Amino acid sequence: MINIDITKELHGANGAMQLVFQAAIKKGEFVALSGKSGSGKTTLLRILAGLEKADGTISVEQKEWLHADKSLPPQKREIGFVFQDYALFDNMTIEQNLLYVAKDTKLANQLLEITELSSMKKRYPHALSGGQKQRVSICRALMKRPKILLLDEPLSALDPAMRTKLQNELLLLHKEFGTTTVMVSHDPSEIYRLANRVIVLQNGKIINDGSPKEILLKTQGSQKFSFEGELLDIKKVDVIYIAIVAIGQQLVEVVVSSQEAKNLQVGTNITLSTKAFSPIITQI
Amino acid sequence: MNSFHAKVINIQSVENLNIITFTSADTTLKMMSLDLNDKLKKDAKVLLTCKPTAIAIAKNITGELSYSNQIHATIRAIEMGQLLCCLQLHFNGVMFESIITSDSAKRLKLQINDKVTALIKSTDLSIERIL
Repeated sequence: MINIDITKELHGANGAMQLVFQAAIKKGEFVALSGKSGSGKTTLLRILAGLEKADGTISVEQKEWLHADKSLPPQKREIGFVFQDYALFDNMTIEQNLLYVAKDTKLANQLLEITELSSMKKRYPHALSGGQKQRVSICRALMKRPKILLLDEPLSALDPAMRTKLQNELLLLHKEFGTTTVMVSHDPSEIYRLANRVIVLQNGKIINDGSPKEILLKTQGSQKFSFEGELLDIKKVDVIYIAIVAIGQQLVEVVVSSQEAKNLQVGTNITLSTKAFSPIITQI
Repeated sequence: MNSFHAKVINIQSVENLNIITFTSADTTLKMMSLDLNDKLKKDAKVLLTCKPTAIAIAKNITGELSYSNQIHATIRAIEMGQLLCCLQLHFNGVMFESIITSDSAKRLKLQINDKVTALIKSTDLSIERIL
């Protein structure tokens, strides 16, 4: 069990704000931290890692990491930290990068095996793709057999296919090593696939805490199929109207009646929803 | 948007699939839904909605229909287009719309003040919001 009860003054774009975070995280949980940029997610990870000071307490399996004025130094905290940029030692081979953290060849080989990097272990980081570098960073973070694995948007710089592959490997490693993982992520599919709990931060405070389905499923009334978009145009055709809506990178058309069209204003943000029973799914 | 005031009178559930029965001015309405909002309990008051294009119209019906929702309404206005026809219907003090093809409207010989039955499948009815 990890008990966190901390506060810290932050100076963000909107002036000073207080980061207040109180949560108990069970051993083996995979927690996604979500929320707009500047909400305090990365600071929280850095406080957990001991890289930033905070007031309050952090205890991990009955061991005090932070209590009153006593703060366990980062190197004694048994954490693995993976950033968006890979932060590898360029003058060391992949294998050396891993063994630098802990002289455990067996573990290094096991990690490289899981992430399909065994054949590349004598290579240097500059000879690797972005996806491969990030796998090395993840392996390196696990070399200390950390109690907590902290991931700060680890996959956001990778292309979608590589991201999916690494998500699967992360999940495999998380289960294999029984670590507790805290990951900052904005990607709903990533959170749904990996996390069993989502904590949403806003202006330094927890505004939502629950299962990914509870938190991420957008609903409008009883309608499960709901998206936010922008109303681009409404055109009259015969006795009906056709609304053109931009959702993400796509345009969709929706038929509305003249009564429905009356209350709609082009250029505004709208919610587009339908029942879960209507959409047709086709494999691409 | 079509809106009907209704009250929950029963909820049948199998895992996260539910059929909710409502009453709206002596008419029984049924809605199929996945997971329900926690506030949706027996006696809860709601606004129900349905797309005008999902409402079929029947006149002088005999025999059985599978439609769970059969609303007896009066036609108050008809807007006939080349292909589609928009009907303004009156039920329980509220107006709602149905959009059907002009051919069907002509086949049914629909006129203002006609008594018709608006047909809605339970999968097409949804909760706009809980009151």
